[in-house]
Amino acid sequence: MIDYAVFKQFGEAITHLGEMAKKVEMPDVERVEKATALMVSKIDRQMAVDLESCVKCGYCSEACQFYVQTGEAKYVPTRKLDLLRRVYGREVSPLRFVRRLFEAPISADELREWQELVYDACTECGRCSMVCPMGINIARGVNVMREALAVAGLVPDELLAVEQEQDQRGSVFGVGPAELRAVVDKLRATGVDIPLDKPQADVMVLTTVIDVLLFQDALLATAKIMNHLGVDWTIRSGGFESANFGLLSGVEDLQRKATRNIINEAISVGAKTVIVPECGHSYPALRWEGAAMAGSPLPFEVLAISEFIGREIGAGRLRVNKAVGAGKLTYHDACKLGRHGGVLDEPRAALHALGVDFRETAPTAQMNWCCGGGAGNFLINRAAGLRQKAFELKQVQIDATGAETVVMSCGSCRLNFMSGQQQSQWPVKIESLVELVGANLAR
Amino acid sequence: MELLELARGPLLIASIAVFVLGIAWRLYGIFSLRVAVSLAAPRRTDTASAGMLTVLRRMSPRAGVRPSSTLVAVNPYIFHIGLALVFFGYAPHIGFIRRLTGLHWPALPDAVMYVAAAATIVSLLIALMMRLTDPVLRLISGFDDYFTWFVTMLPVVTGMVLIAEPSAAVAARSGVLYPVPLAIHLISLELLLAWFPFGKLMHAMLFVPGRAQLGSMLASRGVDA
Repeated sequence: MIDYAVFKQFGEAITHLGEMAKKVEMPDVERVEKATALMVSKIDRQMAVDLESCVKCGYCSEACQFYVQTGEAKYVPTRKLDLLRRVYGREVSPLRFVRRLFEAPISADELREWQELVYDACTECGRCSMVCPMGINIARGVNVMREALAVAGLVPDELLAVEQEQDQRGSVFGVGPAELRAVVDKLRATGVDIPLDKPQADVMVLTTVIDVLLFQDALLATAKIMNHLGVDWTIRSGGFESANFGLLSGVEDLQRKATRNIINEAISVGAKTVIVPECGHSYPALRWEGAAMAGSPLPFEVLAISEFIGREIGAGRLRVNKAVGAGKLTYHDACKLGRHGGVLDEPRAALHALGVDFRETAPTAQMNWCCGGGAGNFLINRAAGLRQKAFELKQVQIDATGAETVVMSCGSCRLNFMSGQQQSQWPVKIESLVELVGANLAR
Repeated sequence: MELLELARGPLLIASIAVFVLGIAWRLYGIFSLRVAVSLAAPRRTDTASAGMLTVLRRMSPRAGVRPSSTLVAVNPYIFHIGLALVFFGYAPHIGFIRRLTGLHWPALPDAVMYVAAAATIVSLLIALMMRLTDPVLRLISGFDDYFTWFVTMLPVVTGMVLIAEPSAAVAARSGVLYPVPLAIHLISLELLLAWFPFGKLMHAMLFVPGRAQLGSMLASRGVDA
């Protein structure tokens, strides 16, 4: 059961988040130099192909919820790479000697202008890449733009505050080992065993600040499922946080530090598997980018909790009852989990096993619409209006299925859905996959 | 030196040299950059074939994505196919390629060529109109987009001026009936060849690696691109 009073407190805390950021001051010349150098350092062959091949057809605009919902041309995805394209043209391109004559260098004002485009109006959902006739990976370019703005001291204040907290104190929203321990103790009081800080375990389960503060039932359900399976598992208070504000804000050093913290903790307990909670970006951060951050392949497998559940159900190890009274139900693929992560079939396998009246959205799976709140966007206060507009598209998509409940496996999406729901009095019930499965485990 | 001699001689050689060397230089500059290699355990290993499948799939717009209008999705096919038909199917063009390379193939009927050229011109005009009137396209367009349109349109228009007689009659005659218009047509082609390596026409060389790398990357994650 979600405590809406806590949700409200959380929302109010976010409105003051930016005030906690220590702003990064530097002369404009330095901002431009640092951003340019960062962009140059990130350009490899794949990115060069991407930056060279745009034919300016504009197809990507129709794939972007921010453009579709506002009709504002400035949000067309390919334009978000214009500064990167110019830096590439002047500094890296084989035609750089000619291009320098005709293309102006980027400016600090343009970097400031691009902050809205790559943070507020892009969740790096990657839907644009699915329609691009040239196959351009626009989300990757946007992430490089975020990194460029980060070194230029132009991260939005809210993300900067959380990034600074995670970097300097190792906690997120004030949640560290002590807060985790308190919540684990509270959940243990329900009679569910949660093995915290076991020295050795086959499976290390991560959780996240959102689950510790708000979606504690998701953590409880995860524990129930692990115990039901008889898995040798643990949560480590020294490396439980899956959220990576280095990745979200574009600070690679922190991304590496946070990822390595998890990796080191998993190695120290001898984990063969690390389970990522319902936290969208955490999955690609560890599953797909973790090895690059570590500098070598990971010595354990990484599974999203929904992926783990689907796999265990498919293998016949996890048995669930029919979810009586669940009604008509649809599933929202979080972009980072589905389109970026490839976790598409397993959540559906779980829902089918629960015997629910399941309805697919249209479009669905890797073409699903983003909810508009991912990649840290949910925390950016000035983006609230834009985010809500993007979410309205999501509402229409869900409503068209006739579902009474929308299930998801991403805490960020869930927060954004809850926020959007409150603003528009949307009657559809919002449910977590892991909680739904946890509530219907077979005896 | 007559204009036609100039167009058939030094200008043609120079434009082909710029075309070939320019493409080679640009491709070398791109493909000599370091390659990002993923260290993550892939979910699928058939990533190369998945990449090629993406190259083929992206030949048509993705189902489920709303185009602003049907014309947006259809129009590019018309001028791409039209240009290919006119360049590779018209008898005098095949004769031109044969003189340069020795390669030749059967020509398409003149009537097909006239329709293809007319459709290409109309389609290119529609493309320009869209670029000038659509707020998104207008915002993202620059010199490259307009100049590339110009150098693509020019050979089609200057070629249409030359179709006063059937291609069989052109082939039967030893001399050239309209040397100046033919020279202008050739020079317009040479302009296109010389511009090719510097602008967006390079997408003809990059669409395969671009689509393939995205398709391979997403396939390794278990996503069909």
